[in-house]
Amino acid sequence: MTILDAPPAPVELAIAGMTCASCAARVEKKLNRLPGVEATVNYATEKATVQLFGQTPPNSLIPAIEAAGYTATVIDTHRTDRAGEAGGHDSDERLALARRLIVTAALAVPVIVISMTDALHVAGWQWLTLVLATPVATWSAWPFHRAAAINIRHRATTMDTLISLGVLISYLWSVWAILSDGPATYLEITAALTLFILAGRYLEARARFRSGAALRALLDLGAADVAILRNGVEVRVPVEQLRVGSEFVVRPGEAFATDGTVIEGSSSVDASLLTGESVPVEVAAGDEVTGATVNLTGLIRVRASRVGADTQLAQIGRLVEQAQSGKAAVQRLADRVSAIFVPIVLVLAFLTLIGWTLTGHGGAAAISAAVAVLIIACPCALGLATPTALLVGTGRGAQLGVLIRGPQVLEAAHRIDTIVLDKTGTVTSGRMRVHEVIASPGIDERELLRVAGAVEFASAHPIAKAIAAAAARASTQQNGQLPTVTDAADAGGLGVTGVVEGRTVVIGRRHWLAAHWAMPQPSELIEAADDAERAGRTAVWVGWHATIAGVIVVADTVRESSAEAVRQFRALGLEPLLLTGDNAAAAATVARTVGIERVTADVLPVQKAEVVAELRRAGRSVAMVGDGINDAAALAGADLGIAIGGGSDMAIEAADLTLIRADLLAAVDAIRLSRATLRIIKQNLFWAFAYNGAAIPLAALGLLNPMIAGAAMAFSSVFVVTNSLRVRNFR
Amino acid sequence: MSSTEYAVTGLTCGHCVAAVTEELCALPGVHKVEVALIPNAISTMTVTSDAPLTDLAVSAALDEAGSYALA
Repeated sequence: MTILDAPPAPVELAIAGMTCASCAARVEKKLNRLPGVEATVNYATEKATVQLFGQTPPNSLIPAIEAAGYTATVIDTHRTDRAGEAGGHDSDERLALARRLIVTAALAVPVIVISMTDALHVAGWQWLTLVLATPVATWSAWPFHRAAAINIRHRATTMDTLISLGVLISYLWSVWAILSDGPATYLEITAALTLFILAGRYLEARARFRSGAALRALLDLGAADVAILRNGVEVRVPVEQLRVGSEFVVRPGEAFATDGTVIEGSSSVDASLLTGESVPVEVAAGDEVTGATVNLTGLIRVRASRVGADTQLAQIGRLVEQAQSGKAAVQRLADRVSAIFVPIVLVLAFLTLIGWTLTGHGGAAAISAAVAVLIIACPCALGLATPTALLVGTGRGAQLGVLIRGPQVLEAAHRIDTIVLDKTGTVTSGRMRVHEVIASPGIDERELLRVAGAVEFASAHPIAKAIAAAAARASTQQNGQLPTVTDAADAGGLGVTGVVEGRTVVIGRRHWLAAHWAMPQPSELIEAADDAERAGRTAVWVGWHATIAGVIVVADTVRESSAEAVRQFRALGLEPLLLTGDNAAAAATVARTVGIERVTADVLPVQKAEVVAELRRAGRSVAMVGDGINDAAALAGADLGIAIGGGSDMAIEAADLTLIRADLLAAVDAIRLSRATLRIIKQNLFWAFAYNGAAIPLAALGLLNPMIAGAAMAFSSVFVVTNSLRVRNFR
Repeated sequence: MSSTEYAVTGLTCGHCVAAVTEELCALPGVHKVEVALIPNAISTMTVTSDAPLTDLAVSAALDEAGSYALA
């Protein structure tokens, strides 16, 4: 292929302002309407990938997106910039919030101090506080006013309604009181309310940003460049320049950049991230390989068969996206409480007004009491209740190796009643270990392992490494060393040979030893090997001097802590379920070891999400624990997705919780911590409302004064913060 | 002049409302489009036009605006 024929590399745009999957569809439509443009928009990554044909300059795309109501910037496809871009949007918002908070603090703190200190009540102090509080009530509280206005249009009352109402009424009342030389002003409420809620929002943004930064640190951005062959010469180019038909070289240890067909060489491929299967797959010329799987042993040449959005990886990515956009956003707990609280307060204020009027106290006194009810009802601590607990909770989580995405995760963790566990890499370690050594009659088991280990020592194949490691361990215990091997040779996917202490040793598949090396196989060994393979293990045959010396059984090992974790899941009221693409016998063996009764085996990667969806339809609230790309869609579709760290990037991106420790007990900690944090948030919300709620009768009776209002504010805030700090002691 | 209410699925936010409103206003004879947004559920859309619109025309406009449909 010539390079001139290839279309130019696609342009990537970062899109801001998209709030739902429908937005992404809209931007995509707008872009595709432009001449010579082929675009796809990903809502989750906030990115548009645009293929330009003809002379359309990338910058002409931006006005089209802006016309639709969003903003866009062209991403430099250089990788380091892309990593920066991902964090940029988030931190911009956080910095804007920080600026608003700092300015507000500078204005609000003097208002609070002057208002609450009698000694500072010099002539005209009220005018000074009014000047300081005016920008607080308008500019600082603007986000709340705007949100409240939008909600009113949809006939909804949220936390923003309550805050906006509290700020405006306390401010306007105070203005009137100052102008008419009235008795009590409540500007300190205006100031403190705005300041506290903004502080809460900032804390929350910070907690989110920190988790996000930790997650970004875990994600390496996949194969960056690829060794492409142009006229027989190897050139390293960015992955984006690969086209269908491009030939590229993959070295041992490298991941395949895209889907393709092997055209030269042979190797074993670790596809565990994609299929969950821990035994490597042997490939040779003509075989298909999948992008993101890892080439283990040999150097091979591959011709790309699918690139970009057509690869299997991209298809799974779309499944994840669909699952994520199908999940309705959980309304904030504080908003749900506010939705009930606000109408009640409005009714109480109205009743106060009526009551005072009917008892013949005149309009001024009636309005004064009603306004007092509205002012005191708005709890400053409300804004701190969720963020402070979340900040402490995520901080404690980080110490325990648990990354929490955001407050909605806590509620999901509270509700779940079923936990689906992926087998390979989650319940098991995903690493091969020698499970059993069965020697032929007359041969010492230790001798068998020692000789086999020596031959396998040079190989990078995971099964070989497991045997070599077991042999090395056994011989160190006997103060010995592995013998040296000469004439070591690799027979592709069939096995290996080598000369050890004068013996030509053959290790490999049963049929290879029988057919190619003519070694007769004892029936008891065949039986043992068949048993092992039925249980999902791998039997490796070893022979020398034209006879079989024995069988070494290698298996993916169950993590030591898995059984204990399953017991603890039950104690938390969760029913465990094992999910795997392996056969039923292999799954049953693992399930028995860790004590799981429900098993779903023989599941294709795309079906995992379906199993989770099925459980949810049956009324279950489902947590899913997994590590592979094949688990990603199921993680995104579950009520609570938990990714095991060290797994694939895609699983981590799809999940709500990420465990840094590759250990199921960390999942137990994660769920317990989430539940403990949510419990604290609920207590916080209760007390935030309770202190102020208790003062409502006083306000209704006309007994409220700035002292009581200030005390309610201070007590509830201090309580909420100290209560949140208790999460630090979680263990 | 006629005014018709439609039940629309797929609306999740103000952007959706803007998109749907824009596309329906582009239909000939339409004067006013009002949407009562209920995120992730069925929202109600009221269209005021010279003559009643065909469901086909409304569906087409919704599809043009994004992944929305008549319920």
